[in-house]
Amino acid sequence: MATIDLGDIPVRQANELIREYGAKGEDVEVVNPDARHHIGVGLIHDISVRVRGSAGYFCAGLTDGPRFIVDNNVGWGLADNMYQGSIVVGGNAGAIAGVAIRGAEVVVGGNMGSRAGQVMKAGTLCCAGNANFMAGYMMYGGRIIILGQSGERVGEDMTGGDIYVGGAVQSLGSDAVQTDLPADELDAIMEFLDRYELAFTGTFKKIVNAGKKLRYATSESQVRSIPFFTFSGDSEYWSPKIQEDIFIKSQIGRYRIRGYGGARVLPHLSDLAFKSDLTGVGGDADVVSKVDMHTLIGGKNGAQPLDLSMPLMIAPMSYGALSSSTKQAIGLASSMSGIAENTGEGGMSDAQRGAAKQLIFQCLGGRLGWNIHDMLRSDGLEIYISQGAKPGLGGQLMAKKVTKELAEIRGIPAGIDLRSPSRHPDILGADDLVIKIEEFREATGYRLPVSVKMGAGRVHDDIKIAVKDGFDFIELDGMQGSTGAGAAEVLEYVGIPTLSGIMGAVDALDEIGRRDDIEIVLMGGIRDGVDAVKALCLGADAVAMGTATIIAGGCIACMQCHVGQCVTGIATQDPEHEKRYKPTLEAENIHRFLEAVRWQMAALTHALGHSATHQLSREDLVALTPEAAAITRLPYAPEYRDRGGQPAQKAG
Amino acid sequence: MSGVYDIERIAMPEAPPEYQDDTADAHYVPAPCQVACPVGTDAPSYLAYIWERKFPEAFEAITATNPFSSICGRVCDAPCEPACRRAASDGPIAIRNLKRFVMDQLGREHHLEPVAVSRTETVGIVGAGPAGLTAAHDLAVAGYAVHVYEMSDRLGGMMVWGIPAFRLPPGTIEEDTERLLKRCPGVEVHLNTALGRDVTLDQLKDRHDAVLITIGAWWGKPMGIPGEDDERVVDGVGFLRRVNGGERPELPEIVVVVGGGDVAMDACRVAKRLPGCKDVKVVYRRGPDEIPARRDELDGAVKEDIEFVYNTQQVAVVPGADGIVLRCIRTELGEPEADGRRRPVPMAGTEHDIPCGMVIAAVGQQAESAELEGRGMMKSDRVDADFNAMRTSDPKVFAAGDGAFGGSTIVVAMHHGQKAAYYIKAFLEGRDDPLPYRTPYRTRRVAVAQDLSWEKFPRQEQEFHGLGATPVEFPEIETAYDLETARAEAARCYRCDAETGSADYAVHHREDIFSMARTNAGDHAKNRAMLLKRLHLRENPYPEERPACLDDLVFLPANLSRLVIDPYREACRIDRNIAGKLQLAQPFFAAGFDDAPDEVRDSVAEGLAESGCGYIGARPIGSAPWLQVVGPGGTAPSPEAAGLIHALGERFQAPAAQRLADGQILGLAVSVPAVLEEAIPFALEGGFDVLVLDGGGGLGGLSGELGGAPDLTLLRDAIRILRRLGREEEIDLIHFGGARSGTDAAKLIAMGCVAVVFGAQIALAAGGEITAGGQMRYNSERDGGNRTDAVVNILASSAGEASMMARCTGKTNLHNLEPEDLRALTLAAAQATGLPLAGTAGWPGGEDA
Repeated sequence: MATIDLGDIPVRQANELIREYGAKGEDVEVVNPDARHHIGVGLIHDISVRVRGSAGYFCAGLTDGPRFIVDNNVGWGLADNMYQGSIVVGGNAGAIAGVAIRGAEVVVGGNMGSRAGQVMKAGTLCCAGNANFMAGYMMYGGRIIILGQSGERVGEDMTGGDIYVGGAVQSLGSDAVQTDLPADELDAIMEFLDRYELAFTGTFKKIVNAGKKLRYATSESQVRSIPFFTFSGDSEYWSPKIQEDIFIKSQIGRYRIRGYGGARVLPHLSDLAFKSDLTGVGGDADVVSKVDMHTLIGGKNGAQPLDLSMPLMIAPMSYGALSSSTKQAIGLASSMSGIAENTGEGGMSDAQRGAAKQLIFQCLGGRLGWNIHDMLRSDGLEIYISQGAKPGLGGQLMAKKVTKELAEIRGIPAGIDLRSPSRHPDILGADDLVIKIEEFREATGYRLPVSVKMGAGRVHDDIKIAVKDGFDFIELDGMQGSTGAGAAEVLEYVGIPTLSGIMGAVDALDEIGRRDDIEIVLMGGIRDGVDAVKALCLGADAVAMGTATIIAGGCIACMQCHVGQCVTGIATQDPEHEKRYKPTLEAENIHRFLEAVRWQMAALTHALGHSATHQLSREDLVALTPEAAAITRLPYAPEYRDRGGQPAQKAG
Repeated sequence: MSGVYDIERIAMPEAPPEYQDDTADAHYVPAPCQVACPVGTDAPSYLAYIWERKFPEAFEAITATNPFSSICGRVCDAPCEPACRRAASDGPIAIRNLKRFVMDQLGREHHLEPVAVSRTETVGIVGAGPAGLTAAHDLAVAGYAVHVYEMSDRLGGMMVWGIPAFRLPPGTIEEDTERLLKRCPGVEVHLNTALGRDVTLDQLKDRHDAVLITIGAWWGKPMGIPGEDDERVVDGVGFLRRVNGGERPELPEIVVVVGGGDVAMDACRVAKRLPGCKDVKVVYRRGPDEIPARRDELDGAVKEDIEFVYNTQQVAVVPGADGIVLRCIRTELGEPEADGRRRPVPMAGTEHDIPCGMVIAAVGQQAESAELEGRGMMKSDRVDADFNAMRTSDPKVFAAGDGAFGGSTIVVAMHHGQKAAYYIKAFLEGRDDPLPYRTPYRTRRVAVAQDLSWEKFPRQEQEFHGLGATPVEFPEIETAYDLETARAEAARCYRCDAETGSADYAVHHREDIFSMARTNAGDHAKNRAMLLKRLHLRENPYPEERPACLDDLVFLPANLSRLVIDPYREACRIDRNIAGKLQLAQPFFAAGFDDAPDEVRDSVAEGLAESGCGYIGARPIGSAPWLQVVGPGGTAPSPEAAGLIHALGERFQAPAAQRLADGQILGLAVSVPAVLEEAIPFALEGGFDVLVLDGGGGLGGLSGELGGAPDLTLLRDAIRILRRLGREEEIDLIHFGGARSGTDAAKLIAMGCVAVVFGAQIALAAGGEITAGGQMRYNSERDGGNRTDAVVNILASSAGEASMMARCTGKTNLHNLEPEDLRALTLAAAQATGLPLAGTAGWPGGEDA
């Protein structure tokens, strides 16, 4: 057994050593742990690690296989996301012990803090003492064994799994219910307790999900969308769209759900024009070779940056919202065009990983599909805080799409209306985020860029926190960003336009003199090279496109993504529908679209008198509407609309 | 990549001013099927009309550019279908068969309104095939008198002489031609009048101001191989002409058809049906992927047990033991030829014989005219004409159709006829340099079909009968759709033409993205055309005359800066106590049902009571808590009411207000901002509990609320006055007018209200309909239980939406929303509410600015 003394070396070095011993199969003893955070994170080998003292946050987090023993106490996030393996803590554990575990055995000898086992998927969390409030909060599977008292609101909003309480059940959580304990389950509990030498003589009470909130009671009648111009702007106040909404809501008694993003006409990059005379734009067929578009994103803090052939990446979209074939096509296209793809919520499939040369792995509050192995094979890690389509709320995936395969990769029960948590178990404030980012970097050897995905709201304040927390880049998403399913009212009325978002971000960074410390990838309603170049002019370092790539690959914008029977085989998990989608064919289409965007960006940059996209600036733009001028502080010049004899389009 | 996505669809050539063309409409892009159709048929509209059961409208959309719709409904080669965007997934919409369905629904008597002759010039047309008759149609619709000279005894050209009856039953052609003549009384037909034999070109030029030659390609081309002059070798078109003229010749047991086009398909299927014939083989020189025949016909032939011998080229016809032998050689595909198709290359040593009793050569057609030949107007086997202007060397003589431009399809011939008519009109009107012809595209702007299963329906096939019981009688091969099958098939349409539900991905954006995805990186012209198109600038979506609207306010979501240590955020309280006197489970009132029918009032009353909401009006409603509206001409104040609301008029006049019972709420209702300066101090001094801001134009009814957006300055000004007085907490604000959802309610609450009054929203939920005159009328079909459920549901959904807005901002109580949680999207909304424009730091309309 090797000994590592945290009195002599920092945690980062210690973790590297532990992993080295792991690879060699040698057990490790950590002395003088001093309650440091992240001890043992990222370990994927079956070795024993003995911590002689107390550990801090995320002890044994993001691991698969090892056996930990901690002599004294641990901080919060014990065994975060641990797959196989075990950890035995002699003393107490802080909040969210066993958070998001997927098979591990976690034993706490003393008491454990609140929300123990939050979003856990499989495995056993056992506490010999008492639990604090909301044990089993939003758990999807596995079992929690509490020998002492349950704490208040035990099983709050649990979806699956079992909670066994030996002491008093102080109160049941929302949608939790007490039920009979079958003999075989009791035998299994006793076997577990014997194995970990825990004595218990009382009787267990079993708590499970009551099943009242797993599925929507009445389904929404399906109607194809009313065109945007009939429900805002020029239309009647009590427009057909409003009347349809009222009628449907009077049938179902709740908000409506649909796909796509804000449907109305919003202030947009379209309300800006280029200052230069563009009559000759694109006259040179070979303009791509004359403009430097190469862009590195994510290297600000020493990580290996994403290497983009142009300042463009694919916006995060999940396998789940989209079919596997669609993710495959997008991944292939991103590789062909030399840009990065993003897993979105819900995990990484081998097909996705194989298709995309550069792949960002996104981590959401539900930790659906999140695991150390996929982190290690990704090219960037991203913490999702919110998205432009539905900021402030968690993801939604209707039961029709939660198939067996999908449930397996996400670690959840199949066939539920999946409402993902709106926030992370371990990120309740900006300071937590610093520690969380550190955990990711520790687990992956500081090799990968760590980004934050955020819907635009109080951007001015949020981005200051993001830069202070040490993110390498931010994916900033305006309210025009789309989703596979969201509450219609949130899609329409929560968040601010992409145009407003980029202004808030750039202004705030300038205000604190840190514009160069973080990169901004802007998204939400960016559809072509024209939008992209305007975004770059306003200060984005790169842009991301989601919906446009989907459309390039055959989406018809019917906005019924949530239903799960996508006619084109894109937003569906139904094999009969998915087989309509031809991934290699659509990959070619998406690739051609991306190349058309590249050509447009090059032609515009060239016509504006620059030789590289990073030379684009605000000086290249004017505003066409009073709103756009007020938001961007660009010169208000509506006369540019009629320049060059090109007719204005009425809407959109 | 299909020509559907070529540069003309990106940079659509300008439409001549006389065109009926909608491509300038920003909410319309011609669908791929429409672009693929040579005559630009507005297929998406007629499919949508079928869903709506509007068959005369569908008929109009079909026939507007196609005088042979009944024929095309059966035998068009339908280039629209392979272009259909659903083709690649689960099969194209059966656009052709649905056309037939519409034509069958309306019967042969139905036709469009006749168009009388209105011009003095006349046009002579030689040949009554699809090109000639379509030109006649277009010219007649334009007001010209047209004389059609046809050498045979009937109208239709190749449509009547070339297509066998099992595909096109007798009478169908007459149906279309009769319809054409009813619509075009200015068309005069001269049958049995052949050019050269019965009338000369000079005579036609004398009689008419312009002449159009559409003589067709009636004669089969030879195969060009030794032995083909054997009498047992016949040409395909000649063979079909004989049979379609009524003959049913006895055939030998084995018949070989050479060729892979539509004539070959018809010929082989005809042969199979004739007496004596047992086996039919089709010899084609390329492979099954290259055969030009329409897929349907090919499939039909295969189903009828016709054998296809691919990659085989005829070499000679030689006498055989039992008849003749078609000597052939195997081929393989070589380099692409000029037309893009790969050349079949004979493989040495693969010669073989196919014994048969008859060879039908269907390898192409040609035109013949001694009259034109003599005048030097023929070039090889075609009429010599310029395709760009459809003109011959004679300035007064135009030419179109198969005779001028080679064998093609009915719909391409019609396109030629339209194009010729266009240039003839320009010639007759003295326009020397007309804009180049392009197919016009129209849309009827029909709503998309609303079938729940449109995503799931497979293609609905018509029943296929094949040869039938007595093949020689040529019974029709297919049955038409019944109504429900037709509607299901029509509902499958993606409606590529129709506006989407998303502004950012409006139809023209979506189609541009689609085109970009079908542009090769090296295609500079297309890339540049697209860039220029994408540089088009949209109009200002927020012109000055656009009023401030609740729609133009958004909530700021909680992100990093609003992470509160609160894991209970799924829960959010919304209940509210009004003035410490009235507890509401949901902070909503209803109003506007004083004069509603009793059964509606009963349901609203039950719904309010069940939801824990109140009512504001002149009359009480059930057991719901009631704030009585009193005022000049109103009802007498009641001690039973939970509150008394004194409504002020356009000018402030202090009401004599007093409580009639302990704990009764006392309130003022204000409907114009001008009154606020006096009303608020009065209310504060008089100990009033609530101020009802009536932006809905009168609390008793709904007509004011239905009139449009509420005046948001009322709330803004009330708050400003209270803030100035430093007495915001002393009186509760309730807003009436224009609240349509829980989101609207949350916005009003964030701006300072404690509760919101729903009027028209609840009325619509309870089965109300807005009349053309802007009144609410109740639908009597609903029963009371349904109505009550609807009221409960709309209130519950409003509560859910309002709390969702609060949760998005990081609040656990709806009433903790504040103006700082909102931003305006337009300057008008910023001004009317005093909220900052999203993305700006200032509060431009606010007092604090």
